[in-house]
Amino acid sequence: MKWNGRTRCALVCVLFIAIFSVFSFRLVYLQMVEHDYYAAIAAGKDGATQTIFAERGAIYDAHNEILAQNVPVENVIADCSLMNDREALAPILAKTLKIPSAEIADKIAGDSRYIILKKALPEAVAVSLGKKLSAAKLRGIRFERDFVRRYPNGSMLCHVVGFSNAEHQGVEGVEASMDQYLRGENGFRHIERDRTGRELVLYRGAERPPRNGYDVHLTIDLNLQMIVENELDAAMREYTPQKATIILMRPQTGEILAMANRPNFDPNKITGTNPEHLKNRAITDMMEPGSTFKIVTVSAALNEHKVRLDTPIFCENGPWLFGGRYLHDHRYFGEIPVQDVLVKSSNIGAAKIALMLGDEKFYEYIRSYGFGDRTGIELPGEIGGLIHPPQAWSKISITRMPMGHEVGVTPLQMIMAMATIANGGELVAPRIVKSVVDNDSGKVICDLKPTVVRRVVSREAAAQVALALRGVVSQRGTAVGAAVPGFTVSGKTGTAQKPDPHGGYEKGKEIVSFSGFLPSENPAFVGLVVLDDAHVKSEEENYGGKIAGPIFAHVAEKAARYLDLEPHEEIGKQIASGRVALTNAHR
Amino acid sequence: MNRRRRQKFNPINAPALARWIVIFVFLAITGLSYVYLTVQLHSLGTQRRQLERQLADTRTQLEDARVQIATLTSHTALQQRLREGYLKMVPISEQSIVRLNLPLRPAAEEDVQPVSNKRGAR
Repeated sequence: MKWNGRTRCALVCVLFIAIFSVFSFRLVYLQMVEHDYYAAIAAGKDGATQTIFAERGAIYDAHNEILAQNVPVENVIADCSLMNDREALAPILAKTLKIPSAEIADKIAGDSRYIILKKALPEAVAVSLGKKLSAAKLRGIRFERDFVRRYPNGSMLCHVVGFSNAEHQGVEGVEASMDQYLRGENGFRHIERDRTGRELVLYRGAERPPRNGYDVHLTIDLNLQMIVENELDAAMREYTPQKATIILMRPQTGEILAMANRPNFDPNKITGTNPEHLKNRAITDMMEPGSTFKIVTVSAALNEHKVRLDTPIFCENGPWLFGGRYLHDHRYFGEIPVQDVLVKSSNIGAAKIALMLGDEKFYEYIRSYGFGDRTGIELPGEIGGLIHPPQAWSKISITRMPMGHEVGVTPLQMIMAMATIANGGELVAPRIVKSVVDNDSGKVICDLKPTVVRRVVSREAAAQVALALRGVVSQRGTAVGAAVPGFTVSGKTGTAQKPDPHGGYEKGKEIVSFSGFLPSENPAFVGLVVLDDAHVKSEEENYGGKIAGPIFAHVAEKAARYLDLEPHEEIGKQIASGRVALTNAHR
Repeated sequence: MNRRRRQKFNPINAPALARWIVIFVFLAITGLSYVYLTVQLHSLGTQRRQLERQLADTRTQLEDARVQIATLTSHTALQQRLREGYLKMVPISEQSIVRLNLPLRPAAEEDVQPVSNKRGAR
């Protein structure tokens, strides 16, 4: 071969073509064949999916007073792959985060890219820490926005509102039952970072904005709740019961206006709380209602036209032997009208009325009042109570159940029964959630309307019972202390022995209650007061009329004033009890 | 001699040179523009991130303020302040009360009614 200039030139060209062909082939191979592999490596190294946290919805009372809200905080995240001086980082973090330096050094020793060093750091502290790190030119720490739940009213209404956990999931109360609405949907954003960890906004990828949780509006009126809580506290100081519950409800709509239990808890400081204190006893505790249950017996008999209010019932002038067991009244009664069976709370009279109804019919009415079934209120953990079917009854059950023994009911079921009498005979489903609203758009997601479950007794029968119950709150009745100056009150006392977990009843321990409504003619609210094992000076005072009745009166007085109910002038003169319906916050 | 030297020089192809200069300038401007715009994009991205952070900070401050307002004006907090004496509850004078029912107990000291907070009004 002749190596002239032309040949050499061609050779160089071929060489260049070969070299560039190899490079081109490699380039095509990397860009097309191995594209996904290298893209994944690049994305893993510099790319990240940033979570945009959705805010949990707030909870409001009926007048838009805030009950649960979010406090913005920051989570401190360490990315070891970006750290430039771990030794200098640890002491600065330790001082601000109040975590031992050795612990932090241990945590950031590896090469993990996502280590949560501290959760829920207050915003101001996070800003100060960020400045310190910038000043020291330290990298590898970033902050993620988050929130914690705050309950501005502390322990007030704690059993209704409930609380949520660190993962923002509702655990108790409305927080749990309405979690699907309150919980939002987190968004995300694909981002890329430079070598110092800063986001390259230019290379932002797909993004989905978060959907914040919906706000939940309750039927609770915080002013009424305050009244109830204050009275409950006063009752706890005075009687030191083991447990206590007060509920206020609007009988026509089933709206719960106030609901409070003792013992209670502070949802802002949930750590270390006794789990027993977390229970909403208005719906989770079963009790024998005692004589308040007599309204079921009498209303059923009136509805079935077995008796009239003036039908005489012979109450044996003493103990009554039935089924081999004696049944007692708290006093000896002779022949009294049906009305007085309620007014004087005669166990024998109630038993005889139930006998007129018969097992099946009586059971039918008990179930019709909703006993034995969950009411379906928007609160978690509700129980249905315990009502045995007639097949499981003993020979004496028909004489014990009419006075509220051998039945297990919740306080909510009991107030529902009283509300049925108050509203004219209809069982209305209780409601604690008024509406669910999308705060961002103002759109009402769901608006819960009153629901009539069924008609239990006729309007006439209900009115007759309501009339008879007015007598309970009179000088003739068992609850003169439940009278409210200026208002007609219908109500019923209840005193039941406390069941012993080992069988039988505990001696000297009673569950006292009073359930009533006012004004009798057109009730604005129904109230229930239950005290479990109240401590009183003498055994004679441990009755619903003596303990729960006056508590009801205090609550009702203030509630009537707050609701601006018009009092009847002539009624005030008749009340002998020494009370005045002025607000008395320091009782 | 001068004439011979002048004859040996290549003549300048002015149009071709101009064409290359234009192409070069065009490419240079394009390149510089690309770099400038890229830097601008980065700069705008940084500004956007800062604005987003400011917006988030403002929102956070707003939320914080809302939380504080709700906490300070909650029923529980107001009751606490009442107990501490920061708020005063002064009984309404007898002649200012229109009674619909008879008073059954003389108004005691603790029978109080809310009034405006004088300290707060100052």
